[in-house]
Amino acid sequence: MSVQSRQATVAHRGFVFDLGSAAIDLARSGWELYSVFARTLYFVARGKREKGAVLRQMYEIGNKSAFFLTITMGFIGMILVYQSGLQTKRILPDFTLLGATYLELLVRDLAASIGALMLATRVGAGIAAEIGSMVVTEQVDALRMCAADPIDFLIKPRFIASVIMTTVLIIWAAAVAYVAGGATAYFAFDVPWRTFLNIQLVDHGDLITGLTKCVAYGAAIPIVSGYCGLSTFGGSEGVGWATTRAVVNSSLAIIVLNFFISAAAFVVFPK
Amino acid sequence: MTAAPSPSRFATLAEGVGTSVFGIAETVGGMGLLLGRILARLFPPRLDYPELRRNLYKMSVKSVPIVIITALFTGAIMVIQAAPIVKRLGAEGLVGWAAGFGTLREIAPLLTALMISGRVGANNTAELGTMVVTEQIDALRALAIDPIAFLILPRFIGITVTLFMMTLYADALALLGAAYSSKALIGVEPTAFLHGLTGGLLGFADVANGLVKSVVFGLVIALASCHFGLTTTGGAPGVGKSVNATVVASAAGIFVLDYFVSFLLG
Repeated sequence: MSVQSRQATVAHRGFVFDLGSAAIDLARSGWELYSVFARTLYFVARGKREKGAVLRQMYEIGNKSAFFLTITMGFIGMILVYQSGLQTKRILPDFTLLGATYLELLVRDLAASIGALMLATRVGAGIAAEIGSMVVTEQVDALRMCAADPIDFLIKPRFIASVIMTTVLIIWAAAVAYVAGGATAYFAFDVPWRTFLNIQLVDHGDLITGLTKCVAYGAAIPIVSGYCGLSTFGGSEGVGWATTRAVVNSSLAIIVLNFFISAAAFVVFPK
Repeated sequence: MTAAPSPSRFATLAEGVGTSVFGIAETVGGMGLLLGRILARLFPPRLDYPELRRNLYKMSVKSVPIVIITALFTGAIMVIQAAPIVKRLGAEGLVGWAAGFGTLREIAPLLTALMISGRVGANNTAELGTMVVTEQIDALRALAIDPIAFLILPRFIGITVTLFMMTLYADALALLGAAYSSKALIGVEPTAFLHGLTGGLLGFADVANGLVKSVVFGLVIALASCHFGLTTTGGAPGVGKSVNATVVASAAGIFVLDYFVSFLLG
């Protein structure tokens, strides 16, 4: 809604007005997000290739997140096994399937979703802060002047790098969380490593679901945060706002995608 | 300096490790000092009540929509993940317990904390960072107004209270989402779900466990966001970097402390 019409209706605004303008804003952001996504895909296929850009972004997104992700996933692995061990003790004091169930959950959902939430905070905030700073210092306008599309030049390398590195990092994260969980089970509940290392419950459906999630999250994070970065306005406060929105919206995107992919997997791969 | 010999790979690695260790120590120390200064103004309380009310509105009321969305979806996801396990055990009545236990103790406090860290913590850093780079904090000092009592303390209390209240909301809404998605997915009636929830396997201790965590997470987010906001340097890119550092430090702090609190509470 334009500024003039906003001011014209401001006299008799109310709940319906707020609801309507929120809906219009939501629809518009959804459309713009879709357009950024479509243009990114187009440039992946047809764009100019800048040598080394994707590798640089892979280092930025991947290697620099590895330490952070290792710490958080290690701790979450210990917490999850500890909590489920406590509950198992309460209900059926039998730890033989603890490792197998944990691995199944990890492969199907937890490694991808929690790992991606961590990446959304680190990578998403980084992308939005970087692109947002470029927008407010008019570097993006300079790019346009040089006939370089910002989506082709800025978002595409991050998109490719993120899809690859999210998958790689999440496989690593799953390994870390599994080993940390195994150590917790061994020290807290005396579950032998051999019993814990049980892959009988993981089938191809779980693997496909997990890998689908990796790719979907890896694609969603740079698109959502890149869009938030490109729509920055208004100096240093604007950069802060863009970064905040990037983190919140990429996290929400992950939770919503998780719901839809999990529900689809529940229907496609019935247990 | 004369032409220095190019450092060996090991020296570069050692330098990198050393720099990051010093960086972490500096952050933790800075947050500790900030906590000390905040506590000194808390007993007896010297804070700006209108500012506290403004912050509470901005942080809590405005976060309700994302907490609602997150919690409803999370509840549904918990049921989708728990469904195969309870089916395998042949105990559909236990789905309320399985989803409720995970939600109340871990997932609701954790995800709410991550969302609030993204929305409120990051926003708070951006606001404070902007004030620092535009020298508004120095202006406050020049007017003999204590920035900690006027700006930081209300935000600190605001974030902690916000997270506590939002976790209460998220607990209730996630269970609601779980109840209705278990009806849709595995045909367990909401009353049966409620029975599994309140049938004696879960107690107040599980709810309290999650709430204690939410307070701890709130303290971490508040400290990290105020610390990084106040130490911002270097214009608009500096604000972006501070926000980035805040969300990373909050997330790492939340997970590490979650582990210790889980162990302590048992």
